Amino acid sequence: MSKKVKHILATNEAIVVYIIIALCTLIGIVNPAFFGVSTVITLSRAMLITLIFATCEMIVIISGGIDVSFPAVACIAMYSTIRFLLAFEIDSPVIAYLCVSVIGLLFGALNAYLIAKIKLPPLIATLGVSSVANGATLAFLGTKEISNIPEKIDALSKVFILSYTNPQGITYQLTVMFLIPLCMILAAFYILKYTMLGRGIYAIGGDKNAARIAGFNVTKIQFIVYMTSGLFAGIGGLTYTILMRQASPQSLMGSEMMVIAAVVVGGTRITGGHGTMIGTVLGVLLIAIVQNNLIMLGIPTHYQTFVVGLIIVIGTSITSLRAKKIANSAKV
Amino acid sequence: MEKSKKFFKEADKNTLALFGIAIMIFAIMGIFAPKSFLGIANLQGMCIQFPEYGILALGMMLAMISGGIDLSLVGIANFSSIVGSIVMIKTGGSGISILFGIATALTVGALCGLFNGFLIGYLRIPAMLVTLCGLQLYTGLGLAVTKGPALTGLPESYSLLANGAFFGVPIALIIFLVVVGCVSYILKATVYGQQVLYMGTNDVASRYSGINNLKVTMKTYLTGGILGAISGVLMASHYNSAKADYGSSYTLLTLLIAVLGGTDPDGGKGRVAGVAMAVVVLQLVSSAFNIMRVNAFVKTFVWGLLLLVIMIITKLVENRRKEA
Repeated sequence: MSKKVKHILATNEAIVVYIIIALCTLIGIVNPAFFGVSTVITLSRAMLITLIFATCEMIVIISGGIDVSFPAVACIAMYSTIRFLLAFEIDSPVIAYLCVSVIGLLFGALNAYLIAKIKLPPLIATLGVSSVANGATLAFLGTKEISNIPEKIDALSKVFILSYTNPQGITYQLTVMFLIPLCMILAAFYILKYTMLGRGIYAIGGDKNAARIAGFNVTKIQFIVYMTSGLFAGIGGLTYTILMRQASPQSLMGSEMMVIAAVVVGGTRITGGHGTMIGTVLGVLLIAIVQNNLIMLGIPTHYQTFVVGLIIVIGTSITSLRAKKIANSAKV
Repeated sequence: MEKSKKFFKEADKNTLALFGIAIMIFAIMGIFAPKSFLGIANLQGMCIQFPEYGILALGMMLAMISGGIDLSLVGIANFSSIVGSIVMIKTGGSGISILFGIATALTVGALCGLFNGFLIGYLRIPAMLVTLCGLQLYTGLGLAVTKGPALTGLPESYSLLANGAFFGVPIALIIFLVVVGCVSYILKATVYGQQVLYMGTNDVASRYSGINNLKVTMKTYLTGGILGAISGVLMASHYNSAKADYGSSYTLLTLLIAVLGGTDPDGGKGRVAGVAMAVVVLQLVSSAFNIMRVNAFVKTFVWGLLLLVIMIITKLVENRRKEA
């Protein structure tokens, strides 16, 4: 029994929890206003988009690959959908989400084809697809920011599932959009842990040949993984647009580093085969806390990139060192 | 022996193909826009532009040959040029202070590279992860030092380094050629050059055959850092200012150049001549686009497409050969 508790207390997830608790205590001491319902709501809102992308990125990394094309895929799916809806004066959230899903799936299939069939290295393939998608968006669809989003879609940003008014009279609201990452996380958690497909994803991440010999269809699993990633990216892109209430063809570009970092800090091994949904959520939470609250600690904003970078380096070093230790001890 | 002969023949074919493409672009542009494309101004302009990312691409190639990747080069370039520029401004801006600033920049680049090498070689964190974080870290450091805006007020004479010419030959081009010469010497004629090729091909085998992998990795990323710093110095001189986010599109570009030039992303293969030729080809394409007034974003699209197409062709050829 005590061995089991000890084991749980020493997992990657637990380490992230310790760091989060330490950080929260520190911020709370400097600024007592940190502890409150308002922080929870603000953080949930800040994590929303990152959670969507982190979920798909985690699945890809567990399968032994990497996907750096999701911001570009999200942008092209979202921007072309909005342009399409405006051009034909269609105003329906359902059609909008269907559209981005299809475009996302197509780009995911392209990634999967390049990686699973032609066997390009995942980083190069997705980097190329990212460049193609981003270039196509800007060159052929335009560079303008669209702020006249169709009304019914725009109205989604004003639907709230939770509302809290603090004593000073400021109201904090949690948008209904938060249900999207929540559903994705629950689905990913269930599939990864309790289905054959999920175990297959871990298996091909650990060793492709061994997985194939064990009877997994590696190509099929890779297609599912990258298409899911494209699908989630498309949905994430549209959700971001609804939250921001404007469609910009560039706004998500450059977010890939932060998402990969969040996933890796959460204990997912970049070499594949290891990682948990809970860890990823914790990793996203940690990075969101750092990004949102450095200012509360009195650290100027121009230090933010550096501090986040430092935390990522330390976080990844810890997880990698632990992985190295485990790998060394297993052989003896 | 026969195998190595075959390998050189193949690599040469790749370089030759690139050379053919370059000549083709020259011919096509020579017919359609002879005055603007073949004019001295355009040729000189091209020679000023490509050394910046050409040198970065060589750093990328080295990292790839060693079996890793270096995505932090642009971050190193900007951070070292910022530190170098501060030294230059603080020490007055005379000729000696410019030299001193450049030396500082190179030192900073080397230190950043060593840090990368340490994390990759000693802690065994995957290179992609380390350098991805490194990009964030060095860009962040640059931002922290400059507080965001570009550093200006660099000495006038410093801008001659990238923009000046020596008997009509741009100095930037001379620097590029010298760097190409050095890297190719290191790869071909030194023990380290052979070791890095072996390590890239099979790091376990190289360790068992007595190569100190840690040392080779450290050296590789150290060289990468110095190359990054050289490129940073050129960039700062080109714009006569230093900023934390100059050249942010260069990461993809350098990767593309390295792969186009025949470097194997899995490690163990790569030729300086191929990479240098790929740099020239890309600059020609880019210049041709500019002259034909094609939307700048089409370039991103075409580069991505080129990267994918070239990779697919190489893979397909490789697969066919394996079957046969």
